Amino acid sequence: MAVYSWANYSDQELIESFGQATGIQAQVDTYDSNEVMLAKLQAGGGQNYSILFPSDYMVTQMVELEMLQPLDLTKLEGLDALMPQWQNPTYDPGNAHSVPATWGTTGFIYDPDRLGFEITGWEDLFANQDKLANKVTLINDVREVLGSVLKSQGDSLNATDLEQVEAAYEKLLAFKPAIANFITNGWEDQLASGDVLVAMAYSSDAQVLIAEQPNLVYVVPESGSSVWTDTIAIPKTAPNPEAAYAWINYFLNPENAVALVTRLRFATPNQATYDLLPADLQANRTLFPAPEILAKCEGIAPLPDAATQAYDQYWTQLTSA
Amino acid sequence: MPQPKPTTNIGPSSPVPNSSGPSSPPTPLPTGSGPGFPRSRRSLGLPGWNTGKRLIQPLILLGPAGLWLVVLLLLPTLLLLELSLIPGFRLGQPPGAYGLGNYVTLLDPLYLTVMGRSLTYALGTTALCLVLGFPVAYWIAILAPQRWRSLLLLGFILPLWTSSLLRAYAWITILRPSGVLNSILAGLHLPGQAWLNNTPAIFIGMTYSFLPYMVLILYASLEKLDRRMLEAAADLGAQPHQTFWKVTLPQSLPGIAAGSLLVFISALGDFVVPDLLGGSSSMTLSRLVYQQFLGATRNWGLGSSLSLLLIGAVGLAIALLLKWGNRDSDGSLL
Repeated sequence: MAVYSWANYSDQELIESFGQATGIQAQVDTYDSNEVMLAKLQAGGGQNYSILFPSDYMVTQMVELEMLQPLDLTKLEGLDALMPQWQNPTYDPGNAHSVPATWGTTGFIYDPDRLGFEITGWEDLFANQDKLANKVTLINDVREVLGSVLKSQGDSLNATDLEQVEAAYEKLLAFKPAIANFITNGWEDQLASGDVLVAMAYSSDAQVLIAEQPNLVYVVPESGSSVWTDTIAIPKTAPNPEAAYAWINYFLNPENAVALVTRLRFATPNQATYDLLPADLQANRTLFPAPEILAKCEGIAPLPDAATQAYDQYWTQLTSA
Repeated sequence: MPQPKPTTNIGPSSPVPNSSGPSSPPTPLPTGSGPGFPRSRRSLGLPGWNTGKRLIQPLILLGPAGLWLVVLLLLPTLLLLELSLIPGFRLGQPPGAYGLGNYVTLLDPLYLTVMGRSLTYALGTTALCLVLGFPVAYWIAILAPQRWRSLLLLGFILPLWTSSLLRAYAWITILRPSGVLNSILAGLHLPGQAWLNNTPAIFIGMTYSFLPYMVLILYASLEKLDRRMLEAAADLGAQPHQTFWKVTLPQSLPGIAAGSLLVFISALGDFVVPDLLGGSSSMTLSRLVYQQFLGATRNWGLGSSLSLLLIGAVGLAIALLLKWGNRDSDGSLL
């Protein structure tokens, strides 16, 4: 059975233990962006995959494109152990086409001693812009960056009101001298050496670095940011749907999942798995932010074409200015 | 890199005499009218054989490469052309009506800025490669001892064996504020440079990437230089700089043109260096193409028209070289 997944959600041990438990030999290919995965499938290059790991908004998009199989929920065990907010997610009501596998947030990672002030949100960055010239990296994703600033204005992460989007763009444009680069990965060394003081990052990437360098802190802006979910789904073209159900059930099983989550250190949306985690992981605020912060976060949702186009224009302007 | 010395020109404006008129293929294959083949024609004596042979030989010789070009270059380009004529085409959505909307969008000042930046990066890189590469190629080809030449050349192209991504990351390590360069500058009590995430880093990274190509091509051109002319110039009392400007440089012009063109084309399409070293204001055409195809908008229509623009620019550059290169090389050099 062929699996198409993000790089950090599987390892050799998972493939071996899954093989022992089910007798199914899984083979994992990885991708580094939802769009790459979608493009490959649309171009017909993904016919052999039985399992995909699309993120929330991509699930919505792929359901609209009729690329995902509706799940036979009777074949799945342990769905009721999912945390309440993943019982009926907006991106895929009733988990009809996808099962949440991991989740995380987007925030800032920095060294408080080196920076000299504390970050609670975008305002702290804007106010201290003179100390940050060329010292900030932001994620290379229009929706994450504009969305996070939109939240700081009190707007929705998925704002379609173009005036709100323009206001967010103007703020970023004014902040431009502080922005060293838009990179999703590759900021780690520069942050560690102090060449970059603040990096906007996914919680999953941030906690890897924090595990090595405890002086670093990850913070979700108090106005909220994006909360993302990576799910497991079965494409319509899956050659081996039965094995795919076995894979999903393997992930839903708390005993199996707890070993995987402890090893690869990602946040699980499964309450039963969470309860079995070692105490230090449970208390890890990078992986599991405080509930009141999480309540302010939103998932990235697909936008109408006109709005998408406007976001793209602002992004091109921002990266060419 | 030794090359066969006298090669004939190919191309539409070729000065090679072609007796069978403009409609025949410009292949140097025996067409039956050449002086070397009359015997075989007579001995076969089959009237239909020759026309068959005339068709089959090019087919066998050009077929595999031709198929390759058609399937992997011509068809995809035509597909891009079709997509580019559907405004706002997105995969998975019903395509709209044909129109020139995507090309009209390209005239937006925003995209013109991006094109201008791409051109600046490519032209600047070409100029830097030429200025840095010519002395090296000259030295290896003319001044260095014969037995060292291959080794020197090998040493120069060795960096090409590593991934361009790896080389870009190496430059991050060198150029970043606390990196190797600034440590050295600080040791020399010189002011530090903030080149990373800025335009200098792009020029440094791209020049480093493409310099070996320039040196290789210039070397091939300079190595063929007729040294007797240099001696004759010296005998007739020319100063070294006069010899250089009046003898060496004109003879290596085709090499300069070919090298510059190759570097220009590669730099225009480079994606890795602007992305990793260029910082927050380094949107280029190739990055824009990526953004349209694999970014949030997935506007494949606009992406296709941007791709065709790149292809067109490169095609134009090649056409210019063919014309320009022919005129100056008088058919005996390159």
